[in-house]
Amino acid sequence: MHEIKIAEDLSVIVLETAKKENLSKITKVNITFGQLIQIVPDIFRFAFDEAVKNSVAQEAELTIEVIPVMMKCINCGNDFQVVENRFSCNVCNSTDLEIIHGKELFIKSIEGE
Amino acid sequence: MKNILDRNQNKANEVRNLLASRKVLMVNIISSPGAGKTTLLERTCEALASKFRIGVIEGDVTTDRDAQRLKKYNIPIVVINTEGGCHLDSHSISKVLDSFDLDNLDVLFVENVGNLICPSQFDLGETFKLAVVSTAEGDDKPDKYPMLFREAKAVLLNKIDLIQYTNFNHENFTRDLKKINGKILQFDVSCTRGDGLEEWFKWITDQISHLTSEPEAYF
Repeated sequence: MHEIKIAEDLSVIVLETAKKENLSKITKVNITFGQLIQIVPDIFRFAFDEAVKNSVAQEAELTIEVIPVMMKCINCGNDFQVVENRFSCNVCNSTDLEIIHGKELFIKSIEGE
Repeated sequence: MKNILDRNQNKANEVRNLLASRKVLMVNIISSPGAGKTTLLERTCEALASKFRIGVIEGDVTTDRDAQRLKKYNIPIVVINTEGGCHLDSHSISKVLDSFDLDNLDVLFVENVGNLICPSQFDLGETFKLAVVSTAEGDDKPDKYPMLFREAKAVLLNKIDLIQYTNFNHENFTRDLKKINGKILQFDVSCTRGDGLEEWFKWITDQISHLTSEPEAYF
């Protein structure tokens, strides 16, 4: 359900951008989510479409890229992808980790004319 | 690249700075509905209200039933009804902070809306997140909701007295939890019967004391 709130926040940013850049139509919105955010793309799409109804972004095509969780081991410096929620270094087994990817909620680009 | 939740994050940072300047510890309590957040707060108020100045923010979709249960402790309580919303955000917290006398507060417990996914995505400006899970929910919660258990500083495993009536596997739960977050603390408790609560009281007392006894910062 957090999809709705996040989609609303996204719509606000998209419409602000349209206004600032003087765009009469938003054609594409490209976003990136980290896997840890647990966004369901279909629900997000639905929520976004609702949020931009009757606006310059109502026909915008939304593309969603989901990126896997990547961590850096503070102990040995190894970068690794987290599989099956295993948050320990696959070289030295340390749990002293820093997140590199997985919590993103980024707008990559907004296109319009 | 712009972060979609920038607005929430900026406000959360403001809240965090404000609370740090007043030396108020804020605990964001997250669990499923019915795991025992309010009962935990009842027991915690009974044990600590004479020692510390406690405040509570009750996040609820609707009604003030949880707040009513805490009224008897004579502590400041503010209810945020999200009217259908599945989580609290930093703006709603920031708005109600004015209702508290922060200079006369040591700890602020935020009872988030019962839900394991959404509340863990929204930083409220808390000092740390506390997860509450009950044995009746099953031992698969860490693996299903990794973000919460990754972010939380501690987890209270509640209703430990009911474990014999469930198929909850304690070993699997702890193994999955440590796999996700090797540093997380686990307290096994029964908020109704009292098992394990002394350890929780001691730990939360240390957290509050540590913050309130920090020397003043001079500029």
